[in-house]
Amino acid sequence: MKKDAVIPRPAGRRGGPTLAAADAAKLQPILDRWAGVPGSLLPILHDVQAAFGFVPPGAVGPIAAALNRSRAEVHGVISFYHDFRQAPRGRHLLKLCQAESCQACGSRELTANVERALGCRLGETSADGAVTLEPVYCLGNCAVSPAAMLDGELLGRVTATKVHRLLQQARSAR
Amino acid sequence: MWSELRNLREGVDLGTPPRDGAAVSLTVDGKPVTAPAGSSVMVAAALARCPVPKLCATDTLEAFGSCRMCLVEIQGRKGFPAACTTLVEPGMVVTTQTARLQELRKGVLELYLSDFPAGDVPGGWSELHETMQQTGVTTHPYVAGENHLQAAVDASNPYFLFDPTKCIVCSRCVRACEDIQGTFALTIEGRGFQSKVVASQGECFLDSECVSCGACVQACPTHSLVEKSLFEGGEYRAQSPQA
Amino acid sequence: MTIKVCVPRDATALSLGADATARAIAAECQRLRQPVQVVRTSSRGLFWLEPFVEVETPQGRVGYGPVEAEDVPGLFAAGFLQGSAHQLAQGNVDAIPFLARQERLCFARAGLTDPLSLAEYEAHRGLRGLRNALGMSPAAVVEEVVDSGLRGRGGAGFPTGIKWRTVAGALGTPKYVVVNADEGDSGTYSDRMVMEGDPFVLLEGMAIAGYATGASYGYVYLRSEYPHAARVLNQAIATLRAADWYGASIQGSGFAFDAEVRIGAGAYICGEETALLESLEGKRGMIRYKPPLPAIKGLFGQPTVVNNVVSLASVPIILDRGGKYYADFGMGRSRGTLPIQLAGNVKRAGLVEKAFGVTLRELIEDYGGGTRSGRPVRAVQVGGPLGAYFDQSLLDLPLDYEALAAKKGMVGHGGIVVFDDTVDMAEQARYAMEFCAVESCGKCTPCRIGSTRGRELIEKIVRGENVARNHRQLLALCDVMENASLCALGGMAPWPVLSALQYFPGDFGLPAGKEPAHVV
Repeated sequence: MKKDAVIPRPAGRRGGPTLAAADAAKLQPILDRWAGVPGSLLPILHDVQAAFGFVPPGAVGPIAAALNRSRAEVHGVISFYHDFRQAPRGRHLLKLCQAESCQACGSRELTANVERALGCRLGETSADGAVTLEPVYCLGNCAVSPAAMLDGELLGRVTATKVHRLLQQARSAR
Repeated sequence: MWSELRNLREGVDLGTPPRDGAAVSLTVDGKPVTAPAGSSVMVAAALARCPVPKLCATDTLEAFGSCRMCLVEIQGRKGFPAACTTLVEPGMVVTTQTARLQELRKGVLELYLSDFPAGDVPGGWSELHETMQQTGVTTHPYVAGENHLQAAVDASNPYFLFDPTKCIVCSRCVRACEDIQGTFALTIEGRGFQSKVVASQGECFLDSECVSCGACVQACPTHSLVEKSLFEGGEYRAQSPQA
Repeated sequence: MTIKVCVPRDATALSLGADATARAIAAECQRLRQPVQVVRTSSRGLFWLEPFVEVETPQGRVGYGPVEAEDVPGLFAAGFLQGSAHQLAQGNVDAIPFLARQERLCFARAGLTDPLSLAEYEAHRGLRGLRNALGMSPAAVVEEVVDSGLRGRGGAGFPTGIKWRTVAGALGTPKYVVVNADEGDSGTYSDRMVMEGDPFVLLEGMAIAGYATGASYGYVYLRSEYPHAARVLNQAIATLRAADWYGASIQGSGFAFDAEVRIGAGAYICGEETALLESLEGKRGMIRYKPPLPAIKGLFGQPTVVNNVVSLASVPIILDRGGKYYADFGMGRSRGTLPIQLAGNVKRAGLVEKAFGVTLRELIEDYGGGTRSGRPVRAVQVGGPLGAYFDQSLLDLPLDYEALAAKKGMVGHGGIVVFDDTVDMAEQARYAMEFCAVESCGKCTPCRIGSTRGRELIEKIVRGENVARNHRQLLALCDVMENASLCALGGMAPWPVLSALQYFPGDFGLPAGKEPAHVV
């Protein structure tokens, strides 16, 4: 080992990121709701993401404290599951299925078409912040592949035309 | 009984923690051996002086079963069970060295080496080098694959540093911080190939919940976590322990 | 006279506009002042006809499909409320060949009832199994399931009765029933259909499992990609509680059982039972080594029955009609029926419940009608992303656990994905490794690193780089993954790859005739 590339140390923070008071107040009822329930971390994280749109890094400390676990443990759990995001995403969430049944019905071409139209790749958000495009591996809609999910609504026999029309509707509805 | 067994060979890491059950008799590579009930086959093999290669196992931590180096063959059982997570049973017949096992261990070690700093293979000494010597594998066939060799070193802690390029995600540090120290300051962030050891929420060690106990440094088999005192004048000088 | 019109509320039907269809029917009825009762039922599983509308006539249920909202006025004009002819008419539903030749035991009620009506459930033999079980000893209930020959329908195919026997005999309290509803295999949707279409049969099966093994609480671990199923299940549990079929003393029997739904968070590996248990405990979904088996040391360290949705949904009929009734269907050691799901590029995709023994060709050609594109069938993947790809020559194989295993394929959860001749099998093999890499928990080296190296090797072979050498290395890597992985994700990711190499070598630029063997 010849060189040490040192990670710059943030100024004196030893408790990790924190939440603003308003956000902490929004978090507390969620922690209260699940107090004493065994194995409650995933339900808590789902509720937090539903309330905030993502899991704020500042929420990790209070969640860990409520569950008598460490920040590291909670962070490890959040980062394991693809559903949980730690930063806000676009106003609309479009998931395109990438799995075999949809592949057999043209999902690769559909995905390429949507990526071109949005100007971003899978896993990214369009430049105007309107749409986050994500891969999903099976929606259980395999009888009517290709499948997709837009803002939680399941779609079947999806075509590029259908996707563009729905995205336009979603964008104008705001 | 455990301390007696340990004293048979100074400084030997038997692989999984001591148990104090009744003696169980089994055979390893044709040699009869006894181990306390509840012991792993790995311990029995070590006691029989036929130690099985290992990376994620150490006798201060409960077995994890992740590295897949310690595979053995057991008469009457299909496949290649891991010695660290398989418990001894009376009359068990274990083989630790076969052409098949060598093939599989080579394959596993080659995968490890395909994401490990090539310049560090000669010269440095760690349990990984010991394992490479034990199995005779020092190279890998994978050309220009995805890797983590650009990761930055975290030298924030005054006593030790963390070089992620040498991390093999064996989780011994995470487990040590949990089970030996009880601090739970470390975790694995992400999953799959993206798995990486981080402190707290990804802070540097000094800013995290780490209390500088050094349990992780002691547990690390590749000197990815390593005492700064092992560096003399900027050069890494870890020596192989006397056999 | 009020005419009953049924429109499914199944997620697939909804994804094709069933709600709009139902609204259009209600609106047209109002406009024409026709007394009609629109009932939202489960789906029959004839998905190429969804939204599939059924009218109850004196001659039985007459079906129309696929009915979009704009088709509705025309249907009324043609007199569809009397079951008249129309371009979309499918005739008497029971006579539709796809349906008529099935043997629906688990899916006996599909399409017939309102999924959340307990009264309709009971009218269709619901709760008879649980009633019978409560009048037997727990050990006798276990033996009935053993006698049925039911094997885990999630994919492992382990005899369900034997698993229950282990849990029943395990020491420790409390014990748990955990339902694996993380149906992540592409090409599968039978679990989803049960949960959305007949939730009571699953919940009844869970209660019977609890009674037989001494478990008093159940968790349904449901993937987050199934929001409709979550809503329906939660409502169904509330209904059972209100009717005293779940609670502290079911129907005054003294047997306590209750359950709740827990949602996953986007991890296919949590469909593996030990990773599922870790996830339920609020941890990263990492694999636990076995033994100890979950039956002995499972959820929170307690004895736990982990069963697939269809396995548990097949239990009530076993306790209703007897284990022997169920075992009389099937062949060899594959007893009973399997709900097969036709998917991918197939003309008639849907749910086919048949006794084991039906061939792949019969399913794809007779039931499925060949490809949706009209082009020839080139490859078929059976059993999900870890299942082998078969070519035309293997389609006469019967659907049977042992017959498929003998050809290094697998029944799995019963999904069949059809590909036409535009498929690039090298790309499918590359995807198999990519999927393994995306979903790897990261614990064991063969899967964590091997899946990425496997993808890279396939990419190099396809690019024509050092083909012979990389091909040899790929086979060696597949051997390591198959024999050294900690679980079936790494262990079986080589199966689709090796089958693609074996049956479609040309797609990789490889010469034919090489048979890459699975080394054991």
